[in-house]
Amino acid sequence: MSVYKSRLKEFENLIKQDEIDIKALKKFIHSGIPECAKYRPICWKLLFNYLDPKRKNNWESHLERQRNNYRNLIKDFCIPPSCKDVDLSVDHPLSDNIDSSWSTFFKDNETFLLQIDKDARRLLPDISFFQEPCKYPCDIVVNSDTEIRLHHRVAPSTLSSANVERKGVGIKKINLIVKRAPENYQAMQKGQEANWEVVERMLFIYAKLNSGQGYVQGMNEIIGPIYYVFASNDEHAEFAEADCFWCFTALMSEIRDFFIKTLDETDSGIRGMMNKLTRMLEKKDIHVSNRLKEQGIFPQYYSFRWISLILSQEFDLPDVLRLWDSILADDSRFEYLICVCCAMIILVRDQILENDFEHNVKLLQNYPSMDINFVLSRANQLMEST
Amino acid sequence: MAKKTYDLLFKLLLIGDSGVGKTCILFRFSDDAFTSTFISTIGIDFKIKTVELRGKKIKLQIWDTAGQERFHTITTSYYRGAMGILLVYDITNEKSFENIIKWLRNIDEHANEDVERMILGNKCDMTDKRIVSKERGEAIAREYGIRFMETSAKANINIEKAFSELAEAILDQTASKDSNNENQVVVVDRKNQEKSPAYRSCCTS
Repeated sequence: MSVYKSRLKEFENLIKQDEIDIKALKKFIHSGIPECAKYRPICWKLLFNYLDPKRKNNWESHLERQRNNYRNLIKDFCIPPSCKDVDLSVDHPLSDNIDSSWSTFFKDNETFLLQIDKDARRLLPDISFFQEPCKYPCDIVVNSDTEIRLHHRVAPSTLSSANVERKGVGIKKINLIVKRAPENYQAMQKGQEANWEVVERMLFIYAKLNSGQGYVQGMNEIIGPIYYVFASNDEHAEFAEADCFWCFTALMSEIRDFFIKTLDETDSGIRGMMNKLTRMLEKKDIHVSNRLKEQGIFPQYYSFRWISLILSQEFDLPDVLRLWDSILADDSRFEYLICVCCAMIILVRDQILENDFEHNVKLLQNYPSMDINFVLSRANQLMEST
Repeated sequence: MAKKTYDLLFKLLLIGDSGVGKTCILFRFSDDAFTSTFISTIGIDFKIKTVELRGKKIKLQIWDTAGQERFHTITTSYYRGAMGILLVYDITNEKSFENIIKWLRNIDEHANEDVERMILGNKCDMTDKRIVSKERGEAIAREYGIRFMETSAKANINIEKAFSELAEAILDQTASKDSNNENQVVVVDRKNQEKSPAYRSCCTS
């Protein structure tokens, strides 16, 4: 207990400084953040370089600016043309003009918003957090009189025909029965939105800003942990969305190549990364490496997901967060990620050497629960010996 | 090593647009359960189930793939080894039905010529949200000479049947090919084997 307390004190002392010694802080975070629920948000903001460790007196103005910028992005991208001042003679929903904001609006719906909607809804279903109402919903969206929520744009809708009765001359009675399916997603009341809706909006804006890359499945699993860390901390929840968006953008700038098909074969692309893992395993444990090769178990069977999602689907969320502390705090983040992956394989080596093909595929695709610190310390050993 | 507990091994593949229910279909078949809270499949997943057909124990090795375009370079490499492919669309999603053509072209380009194919129109329990009629599904299946069924992983409609019919079709193929080799146990690569007369029927149920 006293060791823990002195560690906590050392840590608090580190982040209390006007100029934070980021090198020392990284070293500290690598082996775990004390009172992580409280301090993880600030640590991650520093690790993502969202907050400049050297210019603490600038933080407030910087944050205000970034949050404002994000708010403008919401206004630019999430408000449908009908709520904006546009020239209605050229810009209307039936306009043929491809530059019409309506044409973009409909195209977005079709191309990537639908996919984002599906994935935002099924993010981390094991915890209830993303289905719960957001503590600080986006006022522009939830208080609007017109329906401007993103998921409304892609909700499957059918035109219902009505029973029309003629009653006398020119009088029609129309019976419109709108069926509601019981499984209709529970919409939040006006003034509220669920956390998954916030995630949907961030991913949508990211895809709009990075149109060359767009939205790729799995990005939801990358943004999920970051948003959770900020939004579940009382001190950081109010601006969780804006802060998360910029931190996610920073992280994506490092790993975007994993998500781009045309870069698959490059060193920084996903296949390049999987090859690094294969080579490391060959070097560190030739028996296991040979065994997997003999059985025809290719790295893409398991490590495609491990690497591109930074292991976010392989462990429970608290362990993923602990794992990300170390990865983000490492100077060569994704080399270290490869070490963690390699450690995971070596830690189940006895089973791999024993199992047949299908049990091995299952083992690696559903990695057994294990003390995450155990995995990390094995990864550290591998990192030191390379 | 454990003793072999099956007579034949069939490799099957599930493909189709994202969100049509491929993982749910597989989960229903392998674990006889349904949950609507599946995470999206990234890359490729894998399940095993052994079924008995005509007195033979058949091990089905089923690969579940990610639907989004980005993953195609990863997933198409599995087409080659597949003996049966289940192509899934969602009856409440027009686009997923239109894309059937695209998926069929993918099969032509990447799979064995004699791979057994089957189209599944999933989510058929959601009648009030239906957009693709059963007739349209049947028509496209007829046009390409492929088996067709409407399924619901949620209501457990036709799931078992889809897999066993596909397995039976593969069994017919292998039986006609290997009729002079009774001891043949595992057939993996059939690329070089003679093509059998195509057995195709359009199943509706």
